[in-house]
Amino acid sequence: MPVEIEHGCARATEQLVPIACKISSISEETSDVKAFRVQTLEGEKPFDCEPGQTAMLSVIPYGECMFCVSAQGEDYVEFTIKKVGYVTTQLHDLSVGDVVGLRGPYGNWFPADGLRGKDLLFVGGGIGLAPLRSLLTYVLAHRSDYGRVDLVYSGSTIDDLVFLSDIQGAWTEYPDTHMHVSVYKECKGWDGEVSFTAPFLEKLAFSPEGRIAILCGGPSLFRTCLESLEKMGFPPEDIITTLEMKMKCGIGKCGRCNVGSLYICLDGPVFTMAELADLPWSAD
Amino acid sequence: MLLAKNRLLELLEHLSTQARVYVPARLEVASLAGESTDSGTLSHFVQYAAGVQPDFELVNTTLPPKDMLFPQTQKMYRYGFDTDGVPYIDPIHDADEVVVFGLRSCDMASIDCMDQVFLTKGYEDEFYAPRRQKLLCVALACGQAAESCFCDSMGIDPNVAANADIQLVAGDEAFSLSAQTEKGQAALSQWQAFLSAGELPVAPAPTSCSLKVEANGLKDKLEQMYEHPLWEQISKKCLTCGTCTFVCPTCHCFDISQSNRMQMGERFRSWDSCMFFDYTEMAGHHNPRAAKMPRVRQRFMHKLCFFEERYGCSLCVGCGRCVAQCPVALDITVLIDQIGAAPLDEKQDVEGAVHAG
Repeated sequence: MPVEIEHGCARATEQLVPIACKISSISEETSDVKAFRVQTLEGEKPFDCEPGQTAMLSVIPYGECMFCVSAQGEDYVEFTIKKVGYVTTQLHDLSVGDVVGLRGPYGNWFPADGLRGKDLLFVGGGIGLAPLRSLLTYVLAHRSDYGRVDLVYSGSTIDDLVFLSDIQGAWTEYPDTHMHVSVYKECKGWDGEVSFTAPFLEKLAFSPEGRIAILCGGPSLFRTCLESLEKMGFPPEDIITTLEMKMKCGIGKCGRCNVGSLYICLDGPVFTMAELADLPWSAD
Repeated sequence: MLLAKNRLLELLEHLSTQARVYVPARLEVASLAGESTDSGTLSHFVQYAAGVQPDFELVNTTLPPKDMLFPQTQKMYRYGFDTDGVPYIDPIHDADEVVVFGLRSCDMASIDCMDQVFLTKGYEDEFYAPRRQKLLCVALACGQAAESCFCDSMGIDPNVAANADIQLVAGDEAFSLSAQTEKGQAALSQWQAFLSAGELPVAPAPTSCSLKVEANGLKDKLEQMYEHPLWEQISKKCLTCGTCTFVCPTCHCFDISQSNRMQMGERFRSWDSCMFFDYTEMAGHHNPRAAKMPRVRQRFMHKLCFFEERYGCSLCVGCGRCVAQCPVALDITVLIDQIGAAPLDEKQDVEGAVHAG
């Protein structure tokens, strides 16, 4: 039975108008990636969401951007944000206690229920671990419901690896949970694997039997790892990914994030490769 | 029911006391130097007030009526910090009662399309919905079609605007009025003082468009043409100026941005265009539609294929505004013909050509 993914999920409590929230903690993951925990001004969790869902976070006078919720707790949602543009630069200047706007959660989610009993292969690069983290932490919190868990994760250098303390620490302590990390080029402080993601993935030679791959990364990682997974025998319905696109509304109205007749913000961002095969979409 | 033409302004005057009333009219366009230029070449649905001369002969107004429901710039909320330093985010909901008088069938069909976008698929847009609820649509049958009109090829009847609240038909001395919805019925009963019983003595001959396209099967054909060389060919002359999207009554894409003064500001949405480079440009400069061809393809695929796949109807209503206004004559009716005539086996050739090039 292929894993079923829901689409067209309209669950946001706020549509276009955010609520005022505050930053409750900030952790510096790399020189240009920070993880922000956000809660309401009263100190509560802003909304409940499923692993893989997204939300629109705003630095109020500067603008808003769509991010995946990379983790959540009793009283917060977390966003892992790389400093790449105008709004993210403003975000990186914020301190604990500062006010942000938040609306969501938008879109669909990873089929955490449908994946129960399966072996899971997470494949990601750089900041692409952020959306995977939401599912990975969920799976680890319900560890006995899932089979073997593998994470194949890479970055250009050691400074591009986010959540390294979890990867080398907390996550390895779960049973049958295996972390495989590589960097693209030799660098100081790294004595592990040096390899691009796709060849590393092929070297690890995962069997597609009873296993689902969850893939997230930039265009070239995506394209090459997809080829590797196909070579290893993963059928497209067993490869799950989450897409990104410029977004403004989050509710399927403003137009820009379409792939064919679907909107990534509302019908996605999570798709199987089998679903994408029917859409006018390419990894570029 | 009949409305004598010489009582029309009286009715509009009366309605203006209860609602904002929009009528088709020519705009005076002032040049930067201040003198009036181009008088009469640009037309729009404008708010009726003393001095506004409605022109019910206009087919079609240069600018579409969509801004009544979906303003070109719409403030959504104010934000800032109050005197105690507490942050606030206050939505701006400002829908008034609006009567639009003299919509054409294509305009009405465009509102049906906008209703699909803004009111379905799980989210009722909180800024569109109240405006739509408070809008009374009074449509006017087209006495004649413009050169660029092709609505009847797109399944729209220029003589009857399906879903309008009230349908007008212009006779020599009077308009006939018929209510097509409960809302229209209620309006007509309030307008009794201006109306008289009866029918037009001579019913005008039905109008049809002389410009024809074959739209049947368009979606199915386009579903097989995403990679077709036609897109590269037709996009060559496009300037990506966005005129087509701004004059289109169904184009509904928007941007969200803000204006700030000190510690307070407003976030608003405004019309955007899929023809623009930065429409899909992300932080880090990744842009899936950086080139012109994918943008041109997106616009026409959305109009003629994707929208129908999603909502069951075409996003082109055949009003001809883009045909009339495109500065390089990139004509959607010509494109529709080209799509119809395009052989489907050219895909291989293109890929070869792209690699070779």
